[in-house]
Amino acid sequence: MTVVPEDSGEPADALIGPRVRWWYRGVIAPLEDALVGWRIHPDALTWAQLVVSILAGAAFWTGCIFLAGWLTILAGTLDVLDGGVARRNGVAGPRGALVDSIVDRWAEFATFVGLGAYFRDSWVLLPVAVAAFGSQMVSYTRARAEGLGIEMRTGGTQRPERYVLLGFGAWMSALVAHLACGLGGGPTQFVLGLAVTLLAGLSVWTAVDRARAAVEALGRGGTT
Amino acid sequence: MTARAWRPVGFFVLMMGFGLRLDSDWQLAAWGLLAAGAVGVGLGSTDSRAAFVPPRGGR
Repeated sequence: MTVVPEDSGEPADALIGPRVRWWYRGVIAPLEDALVGWRIHPDALTWAQLVVSILAGAAFWTGCIFLAGWLTILAGTLDVLDGGVARRNGVAGPRGALVDSIVDRWAEFATFVGLGAYFRDSWVLLPVAVAAFGSQMVSYTRARAEGLGIEMRTGGTQRPERYVLLGFGAWMSALVAHLACGLGGGPTQFVLGLAVTLLAGLSVWTAVDRARAAVEALGRGGTT
Repeated sequence: MTARAWRPVGFFVLMMGFGLRLDSDWQLAAWGLLAAGAVGVGLGSTDSRAAFVPPRGGR
């Protein structure tokens, strides 16, 4: 049974609280045990995450929204697993962290390209572009701040929140579209549009908040 | 691989099956994934330990 530690190392202002994070880690912990037992290299999970994200983007592009949502959740799960497997196999290090960070950015890009292609004729294309830029800026701001020696622990909407919002948004949207397709003259994905718009707003807010915190910390010469 | 490890695997396979069932013409593959996912979740459920996080302090 998983117990939430007093200091789980997660940002205090994260939208997904520590109990939910640790519940999910508890759910996938047996799978992580199996991967560690099989001596699966964490890089394999990192690259699998990229492949699954590309598939998620392709699924969004072709309108397979329910499938895309679950592929997004699966990509997020692989993202959680690779770090845990690396630490437990004793191969965690700067090289793996760098590869993981770079692959994460490409993986997000692949998913957003698919989303953009799906909404190419809709007003939702603008929130998709803002969400893609905001997501990259959240990570860039943290990387730049940490490069300047600032420990960055703020951030309400980080990768887990983005995966959950996009994945479950797509899942709900597909279900609503299938249930309501006879009412509106055809399937629409307005729930996914709302989720992407929310994601865009939250990502930009988090990126700006991190930038503000980093600038203040630099002024004080301390940490955020 | 322990029984509990099959629970998340089965769940993901099950959801992929639902996805194919809803969104694609690959109905045979969808039913295959639904069946495989159901077997996986069934195997995972043979270990009855609940997957939830107790409140802080273990209460």
